[in-house]
Amino acid sequence: MKGGKIVIRVALIGNPNVGKTAIFNNLTGSRQHVGNWPGVTVEKKEGKCTHKETEMEVVDLPGTYSLEAHAIDERIARDYIIDEKPDVVVDIVDASNIERNLYLTLLLLELEANVVIALNKMDLAASKKYEFDIKELSLLLGVPVIPTVAKTQSGMDKLRDAVLDAAVRKDKHRKVTVGYGDDLEARIKEVEDLILTDTYLANTYPPRWLAIRLLERDDSVMDWISLSPKRDQILEVARW
Amino acid sequence: MVDVNADTFAEARYKAIDHILHTSLAGRGHHALTTSDMLDRVFLHKRLGIPVFLSLMWATFQFAFAVSEPFMVMLESVFGWLGGLFGEPLTPLISLWADGICGGLGFVLVFIFPIMFLFIALAILEDSGYLPRAAFVMDRLMYRLGLHGRSFIPMLMGFGCNLPAIMATRSIDGERDRLITILINPLMSCGARLPVYVLIAGALFGAYAGSAIFSMYVLGIVLAIIMALLFRKFIPSLRGKPAPFIMELPPYHRPDVKSVLLYMWSRAVIFLKKAGTILLGGALVLWFMASFPWGRGVESSYVGMLGHILEPLVSPLGFDWMAAIALFFGFLAKEIVVETLGILYGVGGSGAITGAVATHMTPVTGLAFMAFTLIYLPCLATVGIVKAETGSWKWTGFMVLYQLVLAYVVAGIIVVVGNFIIGVL
Repeated sequence: MKGGKIVIRVALIGNPNVGKTAIFNNLTGSRQHVGNWPGVTVEKKEGKCTHKETEMEVVDLPGTYSLEAHAIDERIARDYIIDEKPDVVVDIVDASNIERNLYLTLLLLELEANVVIALNKMDLAASKKYEFDIKELSLLLGVPVIPTVAKTQSGMDKLRDAVLDAAVRKDKHRKVTVGYGDDLEARIKEVEDLILTDTYLANTYPPRWLAIRLLERDDSVMDWISLSPKRDQILEVARW
Repeated sequence: MVDVNADTFAEARYKAIDHILHTSLAGRGHHALTTSDMLDRVFLHKRLGIPVFLSLMWATFQFAFAVSEPFMVMLESVFGWLGGLFGEPLTPLISLWADGICGGLGFVLVFIFPIMFLFIALAILEDSGYLPRAAFVMDRLMYRLGLHGRSFIPMLMGFGCNLPAIMATRSIDGERDRLITILINPLMSCGARLPVYVLIAGALFGAYAGSAIFSMYVLGIVLAIIMALLFRKFIPSLRGKPAPFIMELPPYHRPDVKSVLLYMWSRAVIFLKKAGTILLGGALVLWFMASFPWGRGVESSYVGMLGHILEPLVSPLGFDWMAAIALFFGFLAKEIVVETLGILYGVGGSGAITGAVATHMTPVTGLAFMAFTLIYLPCLATVGIVKAETGSWKWTGFMVLYQLVLAYVVAGIIVVVGNFIIGVL
């Protein structure tokens, strides 16, 4: 907080070609700054906007299909969400290609990001005869879903409202877990419970997310695990 | 309890997505199968995908060879006529014109036709949206073999030219995966090698020339996959599991005549520029080396002397000294292999070069020579770009070395097996 004014930090994320740049431009207008992510030559765009007397700082994360740390773009996006903990993450979803796009959404939810979905390209989806039940979709995912058409600026004000709302409810947002079926859930629970016994680990990273990463054999989380006193037990349960 | 991994979760996520959309999205899946869906069912089929890909590639080379042949014969006779304008090449100046310019440079220029037709066919495959599907299908195979998914796109680009293909490996995530892709890329048969295949196959394989050319491209792909597997297995710093990736397939559409022709033209221009520079220079140097000391015959010329020094290196494979020289200078640019053969056979007194090929090579040594040209060394420019992209002389040197050895081994196998088969027949 600065001078009584609330500043909320918003990150934009989405698959490539979903209209992320258009939404970023719509939100921030001319108040943009282009730089580089530290240490790499990937462009980092930041912008500002004021909505209902609240200042928003918007960061445009690289377009990515997933959040595994293999590619540099994915790593930037993932680390930003883990390390910087933005108040709100706006996940831009291409409504006409929703199956593929929701994959990233599920990963964001695993990461316990405070997600607001901008369901973009609604015009294109309509031409494909898609009829969304927005309420139901929002309920199932447990996050606000705002239909938008970035190129006509449609839905932008509602999106800003939703971002503001989500920022206020940041610590109270209802957590919906998208279940992976009983077998997998049992495995996840087993690893998660063990992670929870290491307070530092559990407070630094979302435990369920970390458990899933371990079960996925994602070696990029090894650095964190190897520092834990529970290391051997965790690895044993995760069967590494 | 079954073991789980990243694929298990990916599958579970898509199942969850399906479940979510089932209740929140109407109209999905109701639409009739689009043409695009139907095409994908064939082109991306689990078992049919690769045979379909191979058939289309075969058709591509068959087309490129068969359609260009009459044009090549015409242009070749034009250069033959031009070369004979000043009569017998009895003075150095006439010989320079007849054997160096017309017989060497002119002879390479003839191969602009297969290059143009090959790239028309490839442009149609690319523009229609098929080529990304081919990448997807090959990728599925390669991922199962433990290779990185994204590497097939640079490999497909390698059919055009290895240079941009190696630069395109920047899109690959891990340094390890990228290095492997760079190391195997020169095995993808680039456009510059096509003239060599067209010349040799056209002279020795008659109606099967298109198939012989196609076999070189398949050989390149197969060797690339084998080498990648070996590298991953036996080189400690390259060991590891490849990263999965998502690929976006563009919609199919009718190829646009203009963009197909533009693509073809851009490749033709690259070839013409090369002809005006390195191939022209090569022709002059080679003609000089083949004609001097003047009047002593090609066997005792400078190039003859060099050739006889190099010959023992390749004679186990059945290549003569002229082939040795062609391969030696082919390091500068692979088209020079053809140019060299044109000049040497020409200075040596042969009229029709295709006919001369048949007297210098058997079908078995011809096939071995094609394979050797495919594998033995990437061109000078490719070596340069590999150094630039890997930033390491060690890896660059390793690449050159393994390709030389591999070329020798593969050509050797072709000669031994080929002669055995011919002996049996």
